[in-house]
Amino acid sequence: MIEEPKAPHHQAAPEPPPFRDLPWHARINVASISLVLFLVLAATSVGVLGGSGRSLDYWGNLTRFAARFFPPDLSVTGEALAALGETIQIAAMATLFSIVLSLPLAVSGARTLSPSWLVFCTRMLMNGIRTIPSLIWALIAVAIVGPNPLAGVIALTFYSMGYLGKFFSDAFESVDVEVARAMRALGAGTVQTFQFGLWPNARPLVWSYSLWMLEYNIRSAAIIGYVGAGGIGLQLHTYQEYYQWDRFATVLILILIVVSLLDFLGERVRRQIVRKTAVTRAAGQ
Amino acid sequence: MVASAQTAHLTLSSIGLRRGDRWLFRNLSWSIPRGRVIAVVGSSGAGKSSLLACLAGLLTPTEGSLSYRCSRNQPHQPQDYQPRIGIVFQHFALSLNSTLLRNVMCGRLARYPWWRTLTGFPRHDREEAWRMLHDLGLGSYAHRCAGQVSGGEQQRTALLRALFQEPEIILADEPVSQLDTYLAGRVLGLLRQQAQERQCTVICVLHDPSLVERFADYALSLNPQDPTGWKIRAVRPTHD
Repeated sequence: MIEEPKAPHHQAAPEPPPFRDLPWHARINVASISLVLFLVLAATSVGVLGGSGRSLDYWGNLTRFAARFFPPDLSVTGEALAALGETIQIAAMATLFSIVLSLPLAVSGARTLSPSWLVFCTRMLMNGIRTIPSLIWALIAVAIVGPNPLAGVIALTFYSMGYLGKFFSDAFESVDVEVARAMRALGAGTVQTFQFGLWPNARPLVWSYSLWMLEYNIRSAAIIGYVGAGGIGLQLHTYQEYYQWDRFATVLILILIVVSLLDFLGERVRRQIVRKTAVTRAAGQ
Repeated sequence: MVASAQTAHLTLSSIGLRRGDRWLFRNLSWSIPRGRVIAVVGSSGAGKSSLLACLAGLLTPTEGSLSYRCSRNQPHQPQDYQPRIGIVFQHFALSLNSTLLRNVMCGRLARYPWWRTLTGFPRHDREEAWRMLHDLGLGSYAHRCAGQVSGGEQQRTALLRALFQEPEIILADEPVSQLDTYLAGRVLGLLRQQAQERQCTVICVLHDPSLVERFADYALSLNPQDPTGWKIRAVRPTHD
């Protein structure tokens, strides 16, 4: 005979206390306060939607302006492609220099690797660099080395350092420091601990951020030519000055094609890199 | 004078460790002879891993002192002796984006100046690490990243890294926790072989009583209820 399992003997559960909701002030937190502040800011900013105050035919202006772009003058394709090549070269050199310069900055800005005073100073420096837009860096560089591609390289190198330094710092901070401690316990020196304990796990992120910066710099390099720092921006500026909007359109189309292509490729490569990192991290948990 | 199996390799003099307001162990004194396998046992929270961290020089005991004697029978303080200690960490502490081969070779980092390893390890190290990985059934994964292999394979890699160091003391925190019975036997057999052939002292945290009986010379049991209630038991007859 199969014995039926006996239901465990339960004591009657005590009556729960009456329902009590959270008091209103318990719902106040940083997120809710910042949301309210943002809404207040937006509400007080409605004035900027007024435009010039004059009665303008916006739609008419747009269609007239856009019509000047067509048909694009394809006769400038050759020189536009050459200028685009120079733009990519400026971005590549600037990205390379900024990677090299950002690595030591990142080490001194990582909370897990450096003393707090150094982290504070480095992060302040990187914040300062980031607050200056690339166009201003380009103006400064043009003033120093004159209007040429070198100015573009210098401008974008400084501009990128602010970003890459921070991203690389975050990458180093996200790495499991237990591995580095284990390396120390094995008798590894400082350089060896970095090389074998930290770098292998930070490397995919560092490379992914570097590729992103290259894409970003190609976009930025296309515009800094407006102030004389070389690249295709210089051509855009010239066509705009002489109202050659059909040529301007050709350059814009080429920029659009090249930048979209690089975005697409860069995105795929970066996704592959980060996916591999995610796999190895998950396996380590 | 060269140290013999009878000389103490590691001397614990009334060591105690307090974590917060709780003593994990106190008045622990023992002259551990060279070339023996010591199993540290005890329930969870008894302080086994903390004891190993103290022996490794990663934690300073709250009271008491430790001293080591190298193979030339010279006394050493824990900090000086650290490069001669091989550690198998409980959570392995492997570099997950590095290959198993490279992880094993990291055991020899202390032997070389930083500029020598900047471009990698010498060829004879690579060949030896490769052979060791093959011997422990990891040959086909040697060039795979540690993050892409199983927990058991990572654990064996962590053990090989410690062995590759050719240490005088091996401290292993649950070195077979993720291995099946066969592999656990092989790994502990390997540790026992190190003790017998190289006079290496092996201290490892073990949970399985049958493995303690098979592989250990001594069992040190810690008692979480009584910090001074630790016990040392000779598991097999020794001639000390």
